[in-house]
Amino acid sequence: MPGLPLSDAEEQRLLAAFEARINAGEKIEPGDWMPAEYRRQLIRMISQHAHSEWVGMLPEGEWITSAPSLRRKLILIAKVQDEAGHGQYLYHAAETLGISREEMVDALLEGRAKYSSVFNYPTLTWADVGMIGWLVDGAAIKNQVMLAGASYGPYSRAMVRICAEETFHHKQGQEMIRRYAAGTPGQRKMAQDALNRWWWPSLMMLGPHDSDSPNTPQLKRWGVKVKTNDEVRQEFLDEHAPDLMAAGLKIPDPDLRFDEETGHWVHGPIDWDEFWRVVKGDGPCNAERLAARRKAHDEGRWVREAMAAHAQRAAQAASAAHSDGTAAEPEPSARRARADG
Amino acid sequence: MSELRPRATSDNAAPGDSQWPRWEVLKQDNERKAHQAVGSVHAADAEHALLMARTVFARRPSAVSMWVAPAACVHAWTAQELEGHAAEAVPAGPAPSEPGAASQRYFVVRKSSNRRSMTFGDLVGEVAAPTLEAALARALSEFADAPILALWLIEADAVVRSDPAVADPWFGPALDKTYKQQSIYSSSAVARKDAEEGVPE
Repeated sequence: MPGLPLSDAEEQRLLAAFEARINAGEKIEPGDWMPAEYRRQLIRMISQHAHSEWVGMLPEGEWITSAPSLRRKLILIAKVQDEAGHGQYLYHAAETLGISREEMVDALLEGRAKYSSVFNYPTLTWADVGMIGWLVDGAAIKNQVMLAGASYGPYSRAMVRICAEETFHHKQGQEMIRRYAAGTPGQRKMAQDALNRWWWPSLMMLGPHDSDSPNTPQLKRWGVKVKTNDEVRQEFLDEHAPDLMAAGLKIPDPDLRFDEETGHWVHGPIDWDEFWRVVKGDGPCNAERLAARRKAHDEGRWVREAMAAHAQRAAQAASAAHSDGTAAEPEPSARRARADG
Repeated sequence: MSELRPRATSDNAAPGDSQWPRWEVLKQDNERKAHQAVGSVHAADAEHALLMARTVFARRPSAVSMWVAPAACVHAWTAQELEGHAAEAVPAGPAPSEPGAASQRYFVVRKSSNRRSMTFGDLVGEVAAPTLEAALARALSEFADAPILALWLIEADAVVRSDPAVADPWFGPALDKTYKQQSIYSSSAVARKDAEEGVPE
């Protein structure tokens, strides 16, 4: 196994015990012994996942002010807010492995980190918001339900929480697209156009074929992934192909067919050149997404500095009062804080 | 007793541009349930930590109370780290009720199952002891009624709680945001039927 410093008998003994725990269905918790490669792979996966949540706010966030009704606007705001929260759950899970949130955020802002390829595609019409919910969140949920069974406790818990919330993202998108697909000719055209553009990126976002996914066997052995990329993609396809067709939409894959023998849907060849181009930074919106994240980070700097200064001053005042022997001014605790309404 | 290796749940409390100290968050879903460890937030101070905790962990029902504690005040052990300690007897230190006993109170959070869950563990009670080591021994003996897969001792003085008087304005609005509930959207099966029969507007 590459990257594993398995030079001595003690390491081998620890590794055997570690794998026995995973086979017995135990969760690995922060503080437990784990192979360096397990830690490295988890930091890689969880931080990329966290970045995807944060960058994922951008394509849809652009449409908040253009939502066609108050209900749709409330739904979209709640969804984008959820993605921010999901990023926080995941950054927290990664932090338990010994990396700081700041290191991860810096890596994202400096363009050193990867995130899901799918968020580098543009949202050209309002129907893209619905199609992202139905397809992109639909694919993400298949992956996240799988990862909820992961052997690392903090990652598993973040996934369980995310899945409970993410299902609403999928449902609202499906509801929206079904209505447009059954609506006016203009609405139907908009829904079909969105499907044409989001179908392949959604299939790609579940990752390379198993034959091109060298990490998968070890990740499965250690219970990080419970299923392979192709297995998860098959689940996504089997659920979504019939639902999209039932909604009256045409899936843009001339080779798509249902295999009676296996009971599974079969898709045509995926353009992996496009996938790798987008992953490596040359997708339609990579530069725009990072620029938007950096702008938000820079424009929030004064708030972070002000809060740090406020906390520092309060701490200094408390310590000065303490050394004077006088009673410290009580902290502005939430006991007295009022809700922001 | 071998080395205890108390380990705070965070080693990364150094403040930086985007990195306030980390705070562990406990949430209580309703009055009949225990507070549960749900995750952490970064915040400049306790008030900020509670606001972040509500935004991150209580966007949906239900919650009636939240606690936050600086991660540096949360001492954590896994079962693996505790091996050899479970059988220790409670040390003969001064009991917390004895006058003059300089004891520190700790809240005890226990993880007792490997079941799939969105929470790490439950608040099961509190212990008081003059040292962290003694508090751990006490907790191991007092809370042995379920498996101890992991254990936290949270310095009680470091815990800041949400104000019960504002629980409704803090946590109530999530109840009205029914559009966040997946159950109000129709299922795939209904979707197919709707497509066949036409969608009523």
